[in-house]
Amino acid sequence: MGRFLLQRLSAGALVLLGVIFVIFALFLLINVDPAKMTLGQRSDIASQEAVRARLGLDKPWYGRMAMYVGQLSPIGVHPNDAATREELGGVALLSLGDQVVLLKWPYLGRSFQSDRRVGAMLLQAISNTLILSLAALTIALLLGLSLGMLAALRSGSWVDRLLVSLAALGVSIPSYFSAIVLSFVLGYVYHAYTGLNMIGSLYDLEGHIVWQNLILPALALGIRPVAVITQLTRSTMLDVLEQDYMRTAKAKGLSPTVVIVQHGLRNAVNPVITAVSGWLASLLAGAYFVEVIFNFKGLGYMTIKAIETYDFPVIMGSVLLGATLFVLINILVDVLYALFDPKIKMAG
Amino acid sequence: MATPLLSVEHLSVSFGAGKHQQAAVRDISFHIQPGETVGVVGESGSGKSVTSLSIMGLLPPNGQIDDGRVLWQQQGGEVDLTQLPPRQLRQYRGKEMAMIFQEPMTSLNPVFTCGYQVAEAIRVHEKMGATAAKARVLELFKQVRLPDPERMYKSYPHELSGGQKQRVMIAMALSCQPRLLIADEPTTALDVTVQKAILELLQELKDEVQAAILFITHDLGVIGDIADRVLVMYQGQIVEQGTVSALFKQPQHPYTKGLLACRPPLSARVERLPTVSDFMEVSKDGAWSEKNNSIHTSTISKVQAQQRLTKLQENAPILSVSGLNTWFPKEKTWLGQPKSFVKAVQDVSFDVYPGETLGLVGESGCGKTTLGRTIMRLLPATSGSITFNGQDVLAAEGSALRALRKQVQIIFQDPYSSLNPRMPIGKAIQEPMAVHGLHGTADKRKQQTIQLLEQVGLRPEHYDRYPHEFSGGQRQRICIARALALQPRFIICDESVSALDVSVQAQVLNLLLDLQQTYNLTYIFISHDLSVVYFMADRIAVMQEGRIVEMGPGYEIYHDPKQPYTQQLIEAIPKGNVDAPTERHAE
Repeated sequence: MGRFLLQRLSAGALVLLGVIFVIFALFLLINVDPAKMTLGQRSDIASQEAVRARLGLDKPWYGRMAMYVGQLSPIGVHPNDAATREELGGVALLSLGDQVVLLKWPYLGRSFQSDRRVGAMLLQAISNTLILSLAALTIALLLGLSLGMLAALRSGSWVDRLLVSLAALGVSIPSYFSAIVLSFVLGYVYHAYTGLNMIGSLYDLEGHIVWQNLILPALALGIRPVAVITQLTRSTMLDVLEQDYMRTAKAKGLSPTVVIVQHGLRNAVNPVITAVSGWLASLLAGAYFVEVIFNFKGLGYMTIKAIETYDFPVIMGSVLLGATLFVLINILVDVLYALFDPKIKMAG
Repeated sequence: MATPLLSVEHLSVSFGAGKHQQAAVRDISFHIQPGETVGVVGESGSGKSVTSLSIMGLLPPNGQIDDGRVLWQQQGGEVDLTQLPPRQLRQYRGKEMAMIFQEPMTSLNPVFTCGYQVAEAIRVHEKMGATAAKARVLELFKQVRLPDPERMYKSYPHELSGGQKQRVMIAMALSCQPRLLIADEPTTALDVTVQKAILELLQELKDEVQAAILFITHDLGVIGDIADRVLVMYQGQIVEQGTVSALFKQPQHPYTKGLLACRPPLSARVERLPTVSDFMEVSKDGAWSEKNNSIHTSTISKVQAQQRLTKLQENAPILSVSGLNTWFPKEKTWLGQPKSFVKAVQDVSFDVYPGETLGLVGESGCGKTTLGRTIMRLLPATSGSITFNGQDVLAAEGSALRALRKQVQIIFQDPYSSLNPRMPIGKAIQEPMAVHGLHGTADKRKQQTIQLLEQVGLRPEHYDRYPHEFSGGQRQRICIARALALQPRFIICDESVSALDVSVQAQVLNLLLDLQQTYNLTYIFISHDLSVVYFMADRIAVMQEGRIVEMGPGYEIYHDPKQPYTQQLIEAIPKGNVDAPTERHAE
């Protein structure tokens, strides 16, 4: 188990390095000058140069990349001056002349635009996105599992056929489309009945949570997972219902509920877990369209805004955060899978 | 006469509705006394499993009981189980009557521990706490002779062997002291030695727990070993019932006679197997009549067999295998380098002579299938050499390999999955001919295919039909025709008759013998069924854990086995007294 985790984590670290390299490469290709973006059109060369130096843009790309990775790493060698120490924080482990070895949180730099720390910005955005995705997933699991089971148990009936068609529809609708439709119909046309807003963030201006602003984005984000989980649950459940051990369970004299829920669902749920976990990663990493459409200030919203202004540290930070989430969740899924299916052994 | 525990009266069961309605069981009546063991024999589709499922109320949703009663004797009178509402019937299932199924591999739920699954049955009927139930389960595990009950309790089904799983199933069935135990082919999926152990266990337990047993099987040998009375089912009807000895000594119904005769006997090697159709004729509407010709099977004496073998061995061997190893990587290092191996075939050497049949027997996992496939080059050999007709098989590449494959063909076990369901059978048989460019034109190939169809006992009009239109036996004939399409000299039969009913099996075995004579074919006949191998083979090789432990002429292996493993295998074959009728023809 320990070895398994170690292997997966080191593979994950390699993935993250790859991501950093790709983003650096992309920025070289785009060839925009963030200094000009920051200062606007009417800036003079001298102040542009000053900004460049401050942002480290005067160094070659490999130098910048090395510096970025060094700052990102929880343990790294840094110049031992007050400004750096103040910016990076952490504990000094070892002093080497004018250099110092620091143990610290990964440092992601500051936004070119707002000069806020990227780490703090991400933390705030991800918490909003986390609430949104969890809400969407809860809806998806509750609805999907029960609808899927219903369809499987009534297979061949009109209920089944209706659910299967609805699920097919749900899978094929892109989230930006359903988001716009939901926002328009429930937030505008029927606003009087629903009391929901077309757009809105989780927090109002005074910082209070506005729970009703969660409903529509969560629904929009949850439609595809609901459809997929319904389909998956239906097909795995149909398969499980045919199995010999279900007959054994009935032959023991167990009640239909115990047979279906305990013996059946427990076996049918494995592929569903895989799907859900895949969704969780991609939901967290960016419900881009849905967040932008509803003006919901999560990770996706922040990333899109950063791309509009070429705010390199923010883009890099959010992409890295997304990649990290993917890696971690995939490892977690493997562990969960082994817990649910005793046949899977942790092996390298 | 005592009151029967269970009386089935005029039971009729069918599947589907309207136009598609098909009768599975027609108007059957029988009864079981308390403590009695009643065997039910019949071939697939004869309605024996449907009967047991109807008693338990476990028919699949599209099956329905059309008529009849299933009367259960209990304190305060009889109950008709077919009339009980589901909630009440559940109190009988698992408590009063319990069932052991055919497939121990799939009959246990993979996500719960064995202990939990047995305890569950106890807790639902006996209203026991978890600790008390666990103590009872451990006791049951001891009773069914499972090693290390504590560990078994915590084990998941996949961690147990097939025999152990079946013991868990038996423990589950016995958990609430049922008065009726229904065993539906409980040993069919198991190796002979495991089967023997399970049958012995059932017999011992029968006396301990005093339950009546309804034992369903297609294997008359097993029935002879375990049952007091036998019902013979054919096409949904009970055609004959009686005590075991009466039925085996003096079968009345032609079907029973045929069933008894078509099983390859062990007492002597017969030249041809009688088939059910030698005893009875079935008309299109399903009515049958007895044929009156006397059936005489001649046997092959030891001297005759020896002479044949000496003559065969005058030629140079057609296939020589020496020092053959086939290993599969079991564990890999993180670089993907194999660390340890499953040694499926280990240091195997033998020769096969032209026109000979070499039997290959052994229990599941002994490497017999791997050996066959390595010879075909379907699996890579790890080391050793295989020479076919003077040619190095392992070194052959490209066109040389294709030429070799043309001469060596294989017939697989499962005729259902080894034919492409979307290809008419004529095309399927013709395909290898076209691949190897035989017979010039497509027309000639079609003629050749039709000839082959006739040779394996099918008709020319079958040419355009699809596999699903054929029965299991017919499909295996198609597979044989396909193997013959390339006019091979050597055929590997990998459990080719194991999936077939005994009467069909007899026909296919006879066909294989006829073809061998016509074309001077050489066979490697792989099977777990020792009686079938005895009937087919000139020499027999016994495999255990990847090695050939003993090899020799059939009569030697059977009547004078040297190795303890071979002795154990032969000892384990259920004998019943099925061989009694055929003994009359023996020398």
